[in-house]
Amino acid sequence: MKHLLYKELRLAKHPTMFLFLLFSAMLLIPSYPYYVAFIYTCLSVFFVFLQGRENNDLSFTALLPVRKRDIVRARCLLVVLMQLAQVLVSLPCAIVGARINPLGGNAAGIEANAAFFGLVLVMYALFNLLFLPAFYRTGYRVGRAFLFAGAAVLVYIVASELLVQCVPALKASLDTFDPATRGTRLFVLLLGAGLYAAGSLLACLLSERRFARVDL
Amino acid sequence: MALLTVRGLSKRYEGFALENASFTLEAGYIMGFIGRNGAGKTTTLKSMLGLVSADAGQVWIDGMDFRKEEFACKQRIGVSFGGADYYPRARLSDIASVTRRFYPDWDGAVYRELCGRFDLDENKRVRQLSAGMKVKFSLALALSHRAKLLILDEPTSGLDPVSRDELVELFQRIVEDGEHSVLFSTHITSDLEKCADYITYIQDGRITASCDRDSFTGAYRLVRGAASQLTPELLPRLMGVRRHAFGFTALAEAADLPLLSGLEIAPADLESIMIHTSKEGFSHEASAV
Repeated sequence: MKHLLYKELRLAKHPTMFLFLLFSAMLLIPSYPYYVAFIYTCLSVFFVFLQGRENNDLSFTALLPVRKRDIVRARCLLVVLMQLAQVLVSLPCAIVGARINPLGGNAAGIEANAAFFGLVLVMYALFNLLFLPAFYRTGYRVGRAFLFAGAAVLVYIVASELLVQCVPALKASLDTFDPATRGTRLFVLLLGAGLYAAGSLLACLLSERRFARVDL
Repeated sequence: MALLTVRGLSKRYEGFALENASFTLEAGYIMGFIGRNGAGKTTTLKSMLGLVSADAGQVWIDGMDFRKEEFACKQRIGVSFGGADYYPRARLSDIASVTRRFYPDWDGAVYRELCGRFDLDENKRVRQLSAGMKVKFSLALALSHRAKLLILDEPTSGLDPVSRDELVELFQRIVEDGEHSVLFSTHITSDLEKCADYITYIQDGRITASCDRDSFTGAYRLVRGAASQLTPELLPRLMGVRRHAFGFTALAEAADLPLLSGLEIAPADLESIMIHTSKEGFSHEASAV
């Protein structure tokens, strides 16, 4: 698996994998829909798959001494690493942003707090669940897979923001840095992390199963 | 010892079926896998390698069941589907750097020696290579991990005659030690006349012959005669009858030689066998007349 991951990083990498990490700095903007910084990761994943298809990545990889399911597993691992890297790079930006605006006051959406990161992880899980198995159904229809997964991510962002902004209880506990409700936000973070792990694992297993039936 | 054994390989698509493909290749030989476009050569090779999920059949490489020991089997083979057609913007050194990690038996000295022999500049990008150089790069990668069996799909297609001749010579050098074998599919039969020890012939998804080249060509004769000699009695014995202004040309089985007296008989080469049998399969019904 480590050799396949090396192959992913050496040959399948796309410049946006690293460039879009810088967009984590958006979390320093006082008022901004912070989900945008994380949407770019989904776009970067799309570019990696698109580039892979244009480079006949599967033709190259399938001839190496690896199992078919390992090809899928390595790519899923790369996607997870990209998403976790985005979260990790965003964390210091979120902490600095909170120092700059200790009282919050993001007029464009939820604060970049623990609950927000939990919701972002759920967004990534949703993306992985819809994008990866859809792509590996054929091994080449990357545009269609991204269209559905991207649309679902946008719907999710709008729905979660509406819920947080319109339901007073959620607004009071999630869209704030108030220490009194920190427990609720940490719970959302843990729930998001759990859903992300389960969702990504399921996405990978589904992708492996579908790709096993694909004739290259 | 058989380096490659294929038994009962089948794959059904809508409109095409690979049926019960079976053949064997011993160590130290070159096998030409021939058939017209769409006959099923690539499907057979891909089914053998698990790139296409076969409906039935088994493949053994160097005595190991491919399905059960895929990793070990893949260590012993080098595969090229028309040369390096992947990562065109990557440097050869990048491709090699990735590839070598998957093979414990990778020999860097052999790789460098082959790059030198093939005039491969490691700093070049894949897209800068000619079609022939791409095939040579694939071969360099395969031979550097000590692959015993080279499986090549149309390696000489699209190459100029000089490059094709170079490759054919290279194949012959590879099998000289008696430990390596080459299976290559092609529809350029002249390449096989120069180097193939064995011929496996596929038609419409069915392997219709798999034997040594001399037996394959020796089983047929090219027959020419005047139009008046094309009698109703003779017609069922001929294959792929082609009528022209001076008479007819057809293929006949060598076993029918006594029935062909009075006709011009010539040895059949691979091309004429392919052309005449492809017109109507191996049926002796002469639909051309």
